[in-house]
Amino acid sequence: MEAVQKEHGRLLKRLKASQSIKHVQSTIEILQSARDTIHSDPNQAAVTLAKLQNPVKASFESINDTLKETHSGMNKYTKSLDKLFKDRPLPSTDHDVLSTQEPLINRAIAMHLLREGQFSVASTFLEEIAKQKSLEFVQSSSQSPEKAATLLEMDEEPSETTRQQFASMYYILHEMKENRNLQPAIEWSRDHRAALEARGSNLEFELCRLHAGIRSPRVSSLRPRYLREVQQLVGAMAFCPNMRGSPYASIFNNPSAWDDVAQFFTREFCSLLGLSADSPLYVAATAGAIALPTLLKLQSIMKAKRTEWTSENELPVEISLPPSYLFHSIFVCPVSKEQATDDNPPMMIPCGHVIAEESLRRLSKGNRFKCPYCPSESHPRDARKVFL
Amino acid sequence: MAAELTSTKLNPESHLILDQPLLRLPHELARRNFKTVQRAVEREKDYVLPALREAANASLSNRQTPDQTLAALDAMISRMQGLKRKMESLQEEEKKIQNQSRKRIQHLETLHQIPSLVDVKYDQWSRVRLDRLLVDHMLRSGYSDSAKQLAQERDIEDIVDLTVFTQCQRVVESLRRGETKEALQWCGENKAALKKSHHTLEFELRLQQYIEMVRTQDQSKKLEAILHARKYLTPNHESQNSEIMQAAGLLVFNQNTRAEPYKTLFSLDRWKFLADLFVKTHHELLSLPSQPLLHIALSAGLSALKTPLCHSAYTSSSSNSQSTSTSVCPICSTELNELARKMPYAHHSKSYVEADPIVLPNGRVYGKARLLDISRNLGAVEAGKVKDPTTGEVFDEEEMKKVYIM
Repeated sequence: MEAVQKEHGRLLKRLKASQSIKHVQSTIEILQSARDTIHSDPNQAAVTLAKLQNPVKASFESINDTLKETHSGMNKYTKSLDKLFKDRPLPSTDHDVLSTQEPLINRAIAMHLLREGQFSVASTFLEEIAKQKSLEFVQSSSQSPEKAATLLEMDEEPSETTRQQFASMYYILHEMKENRNLQPAIEWSRDHRAALEARGSNLEFELCRLHAGIRSPRVSSLRPRYLREVQQLVGAMAFCPNMRGSPYASIFNNPSAWDDVAQFFTREFCSLLGLSADSPLYVAATAGAIALPTLLKLQSIMKAKRTEWTSENELPVEISLPPSYLFHSIFVCPVSKEQATDDNPPMMIPCGHVIAEESLRRLSKGNRFKCPYCPSESHPRDARKVFL
Repeated sequence: MAAELTSTKLNPESHLILDQPLLRLPHELARRNFKTVQRAVEREKDYVLPALREAANASLSNRQTPDQTLAALDAMISRMQGLKRKMESLQEEEKKIQNQSRKRIQHLETLHQIPSLVDVKYDQWSRVRLDRLLVDHMLRSGYSDSAKQLAQERDIEDIVDLTVFTQCQRVVESLRRGETKEALQWCGENKAALKKSHHTLEFELRLQQYIEMVRTQDQSKKLEAILHARKYLTPNHESQNSEIMQAAGLLVFNQNTRAEPYKTLFSLDRWKFLADLFVKTHHELLSLPSQPLLHIALSAGLSALKTPLCHSAYTSSSSNSQSTSTSVCPICSTELNELARKMPYAHHSKSYVEADPIVLPNGRVYGKARLLDISRNLGAVEAGKVKDPTTGEVFDEEEMKKVYIM
């Protein structure tokens, strides 16, 4: 990267100091003065013109010289780029599975724009998709009516309700962050109390608690679940004029409390819609950028060895991502070293050790068998499927 | 190939795979710009120097009146002034390109100052990258207005290539409408580069013009078609002989023919083929990747994140939307779930479960501390009981059983 920066710096400097136009200008001046001479004294024409040959030629040469310099500067920059991206070509286009899934990608993008609060871009985007679709529809309907029918059926766009939901999420977050107004959020959580409670979410309480820091607490309806916390709040009310010095200061004067609650709210809001809190498109694209170097290396190794992936469903190489990119528990059978799937689920033997179903079958052959990890013996029918 | 399960190491150099076109494209534009300057200078030189010599000789041998000499000089001066104007505007253009390059280099350089993948700054950087990938995808799909708007709102206009793609899109649209003019003009501008790498785009465009003339079935038009073919098609006889023969055969058919290959030649789908060929040629010439960068990033990312649980018939205990203490997995989230269905899942060589796992009588595995925590937060559960956050079933705390996952 440094080399690229350096070469480009030189290129810029040379560009600023470029003399080529000046040389052109001086050529013009030479010609002009010759013209003036001839104009004032036509008899000198032959001499003047003869004298003109070499200077004009020379100035063209100096133009070419400066061009050559620029050219070599550009080549050096090209080389530094080549070096930076050496051995790192973009992946081959052989199997671009995604190009056949254009509507799904567009839908994911539209959802991403909505959840990022880019409502106007999202609506332009959806309009443009609709426009292109109708154009394709006109074109294809003139040729094959069947294709047109499938086009009409495909409605992959996020619905108007999704858009409204995100709009209200942004309104609530805006009120919370900019105006320190929790009322819309509390109202929302009250409207969704049943759903939130089923999840064991204490969002409403957290909101009310933060709210209480500003005004009087209205948390009595939540008392049975948060008895201890409510007691704390009631205690805190006694210190109302002097909150800072009170033993309850930590509840209220936590500067990150607002951000925490905003984040908590976003997560709960998205979860109720069955969506992840962070944009999946962002997480996936970032994970992709992290995974690419490894995958590319693999691709080149496989090409060199002319081998194929042994398992079509599974990547052939492990990719290390930051811990926050791990969402599910992962079960790898300690016997077969295979990941558990629906067809080969993890089974717990009575002693508490877990192996994959296929390994269990292979080890036991239907009879009593010894656990591969402890001395206890059991019958395969006593093993139980577990869910991670 | 065993690797660590997680890593936060950021290797900036290898991380830039997706960012090659960012620097390559402006450089390609700058090189083209430079070649235009070179050609212009060359042309004027080839005119002025001989003209000057000629004028001097003529004047020596008195073949020229002074007025003629003056006129010749005036012509030279005005051509040089034209050259100067041209060079000035090209230099402006180049300055613009190089300033853009500089900003892009700076943008990539900031990645070198980010210590790890979990740094907040990386998050910001990666968000900008996603916006860039989105703009790239939108431009390639022809959604130029969305692309422009997104670039403006995110203030990333200098690191996306709106102009290049918009121009490309304009030509594509003209081809879809059945017009060859803009595409041919583009071919003219890039003649040297096209010739060097043996692209057939221009030939195919000329062939299409020929086909359209034959399609009319008008005698004079057909005659014109033959002249057109002599001028534009036959010079390529070495590389495109069979196509030229077919074109000749086309003269005796009309567009309702069912005979191949003439039916295909008359087909209106050829315009779509031309549009695709144009895009391919255009991208190749500017060293742009043929598929959207977003596809490249996503196909790698979906697989890296996907687990067998993401499309399982059973709800995962470790990450699902019913439980508060976990976040929904992005692959399970509705946006990407369908898209990831056909992707391979990530390879793992070691199990990864929550600390201190226990199993409930219904077979669900949870981290003990997390389960107790959730149950405490759920109002409806009495002391000594735990509630399965996935199924909602309630069990005695004693029913939790330790499970060993190696």
